[in-house]
Amino acid sequence: MVTSLEGLASIFPPSRFVRDAANQAAFESDGLTAFRAKPRAVVIPETAEEVIAAVRWCHENSVPFVARGSGTSLSGGSLPVADGIVIALNRMNRILEIDPDERIAVVEPGVVNQHVSDATAKHGLYYAPDPSSQSVCTIGGNVAFNSGGAHCLKYGMTSNHVIGCKAVLATGEVVTMGGRSVESVGPDYTGLFCGSEGLFGIGLEITLRLLPKPEKFHTVLVGYQSLQAAGDAVSAVIDSGLLPGALEIMDALAIEAAEAAVACGYPPGAAAVLIVELEGPAEKIEHERKQLDAVLAKTGHFAERVAVDEADRLSIWRGRKSAFSAVGRLSPDFLVQDGVVPRKRLGEALVRIEQLSRESGIRVANVFHAGDGNLHPLIMFDGKQDGALEKAEELAAKLLRLCIEMGGSITGEHGVGVEKRDFLPEMFDATTMEMMERLRLAFDPRLVANPGKMFPGTEAPTLTQNGLHPLEKAGVISRE
Amino acid sequence: MNELVASPQTFDELRTIVKSEASILPVGNRTKQPLATDQKASLVSLRDMKGILEYEPSEFTFTAFAGTTIAEVNQALQQRQQYLPFDPMLIAAGATLGGSVGAGLSGPGRFRYGGLRDFVLGVKFLSGDGEVINSGGKVVKNAAGFDIPKLLTGSMGRLGVMVEMTFKVFPMPGCNQTLAVACDSLETAMQRMSVAASSAWELDAIDYRPATQSLFLRLAGPEKVNQILVKKINDLWGADVTELSNGAAVWQSVTELEWSQEFRPLAVKVPAHRSVMGPLVDLADQRAGVDLHFSAAGAVAWLLCESQDDVDQLDRVLLENEVAGLVVRGTPTRPNIGSWPRTEISLAVKQAMDPISKFPRLFHS
Repeated sequence: MVTSLEGLASIFPPSRFVRDAANQAAFESDGLTAFRAKPRAVVIPETAEEVIAAVRWCHENSVPFVARGSGTSLSGGSLPVADGIVIALNRMNRILEIDPDERIAVVEPGVVNQHVSDATAKHGLYYAPDPSSQSVCTIGGNVAFNSGGAHCLKYGMTSNHVIGCKAVLATGEVVTMGGRSVESVGPDYTGLFCGSEGLFGIGLEITLRLLPKPEKFHTVLVGYQSLQAAGDAVSAVIDSGLLPGALEIMDALAIEAAEAAVACGYPPGAAAVLIVELEGPAEKIEHERKQLDAVLAKTGHFAERVAVDEADRLSIWRGRKSAFSAVGRLSPDFLVQDGVVPRKRLGEALVRIEQLSRESGIRVANVFHAGDGNLHPLIMFDGKQDGALEKAEELAAKLLRLCIEMGGSITGEHGVGVEKRDFLPEMFDATTMEMMERLRLAFDPRLVANPGKMFPGTEAPTLTQNGLHPLEKAGVISRE
Repeated sequence: MNELVASPQTFDELRTIVKSEASILPVGNRTKQPLATDQKASLVSLRDMKGILEYEPSEFTFTAFAGTTIAEVNQALQQRQQYLPFDPMLIAAGATLGGSVGAGLSGPGRFRYGGLRDFVLGVKFLSGDGEVINSGGKVVKNAAGFDIPKLLTGSMGRLGVMVEMTFKVFPMPGCNQTLAVACDSLETAMQRMSVAASSAWELDAIDYRPATQSLFLRLAGPEKVNQILVKKINDLWGADVTELSNGAAVWQSVTELEWSQEFRPLAVKVPAHRSVMGPLVDLADQRAGVDLHFSAAGAVAWLLCESQDDVDQLDRVLLENEVAGLVVRGTPTRPNIGSWPRTEISLAVKQAMDPISKFPRLFHS
């Protein structure tokens, strides 16, 4: 029997209860464009009370729901459940409070990541986690997926910056986890909620820790003749005792794409570039840059560019941050993987990726957060060719297994979502999987919150091929 | 106080005990006794399951048995110029890794890079039914599956028996320099804490001790850089600033909970914020047996108390201000004071982690 939506419809005015195909189309997919599914309805709450009422209706009627912000998930985390409800949170975009003295911001889930830093800049503060999609992705999604970015080595992931959360759980219960202090007593429920991929409930008021903006950056772009040399340079920097804010590598194919897309002026002919960024008080950076220069001088690089001002710094980062959408110029479609390997095995992992790429005849560009061993192989294919997507997915699977084999993780920051749910049981043994399933049931006994994500299951979404995300084509967002 | 029933040497011994005892509560070296008092549970110490299993300085990670003391870990890290930046507590008293995670305690250093919760990457533990659970991972970045290691932080042995854990570590800064800044009132101190915490100085720790009206600032970095920053702070607060030669002792007195003139048997942790600072200072002013210290720019208050009566008065202040407190040392009538949340979900999580109720209940109001 199909549940009537009447009760749900009564919570919202007609303009915010969307059932027509044209308006729903925008919600059928997310940053993982290879998948799409048609929801039964999309609701657009404007208040916490409306979100709570919608979740309670879903729980009471056992109708699945997916909370969604800007839909930039790269693992299909915000992909709708076919015939379920999408709770679109974009209008829940108020910054409720900024307290510069306590250095916290309390925000609704639909607030865009970048807007937090923009709103707190006048106090000399910023919100540190910086996923590449930060100009559009929302804090609610960042919390659900424990998003990363280029600066995780020094500052940690999203969960390190979320100190409290008022949430409506999948059961409809409203709970307050953590609070205004960075410290707590008792089990750290806030920490557990971060990265739960929307399976526990929806954050309504999220308390974020803010940091003082670094006084100075020192950003260096270094060109190498081989990927191996760039990888060795990362080890040399780490072993020197420096703690850079970011350590990023791009390989030749990724450089070629970025160059074609944004003319970032990376050294021509480089087999790899390394970006190192130091940040902190001006005096400290003056001191550390000398130390960094000495380390880099011994790494056999053939080109070096130091950002002379903020504009130059941003131009170095533009190449890096545009790399993924730029790959769209080299290939009509691509998959991006997000596995992690121990840093010392980066070189070995890259050699294996190259080998697997050659064997399968599929081109792979590499961009990665070298400082924390977080790989981002971009697997290129043409979806219009029969079987090309399947072959690309086969290669992706091999790369994930490689990360597990090396003692790493299947995901550093994109989350498991739909994309990697079959691999979670390869990373965790049966008893650990069972414990996680029990935890899921504790929050959501009826399995209504974002079912089909993280855990392998039967709720399979439709696999289609529809190219790059429109925002990605426009260069607004990128996969990182 | 409960008596210890066993200190297993091996994993198999531990597992046998977990399976055979009706109710157990895991402990380490018992430096935080109030967290491990329960009428019914048998205490099992992990203190003999110790040692560092893997340490990869180039990975910024190590894995060790739960019974390993923080002192041993610190020694190994120091040899490679690395450290746990959150200032683990009660090191000299003998705290173990497992006990530190279970209690969820961090010292003044948590200000800069985050607390213990931000540095635990993975935990292998035994569930109440004796199953081995491998939660989290061994690499510095990992977003796969639920973050159970964070849930275990502060769980006080009531969600599982932690056996091994992996931590993230950082390179040690070159030098530490501590300044004391005299403040004529709590208002001045709060204003200066706010300035210091929001500044680009990248301070390592910001603490305040109301009794002496001293604001303590720790700089961590190359010596030359510290000197320049000290000059900047001097320029701002002039005659109030003193450079301390015994900086390390100041911080150790906080991490060991031993800064008061006379030994206070009871020690309480209170996650604080600015509006609760005043009431806590008033309490400490009124009661001779209460000594107060704020850490992490006021985000945590530590209170040392002479008597249960002092703790009861503190309980009242915390309830009025809707703040929770945890007694971590001494023999209080109960460890959880003030206003603890009670939600359905904490019961459901406990049930999920420990379906056969092998461990005592979690604390709540």
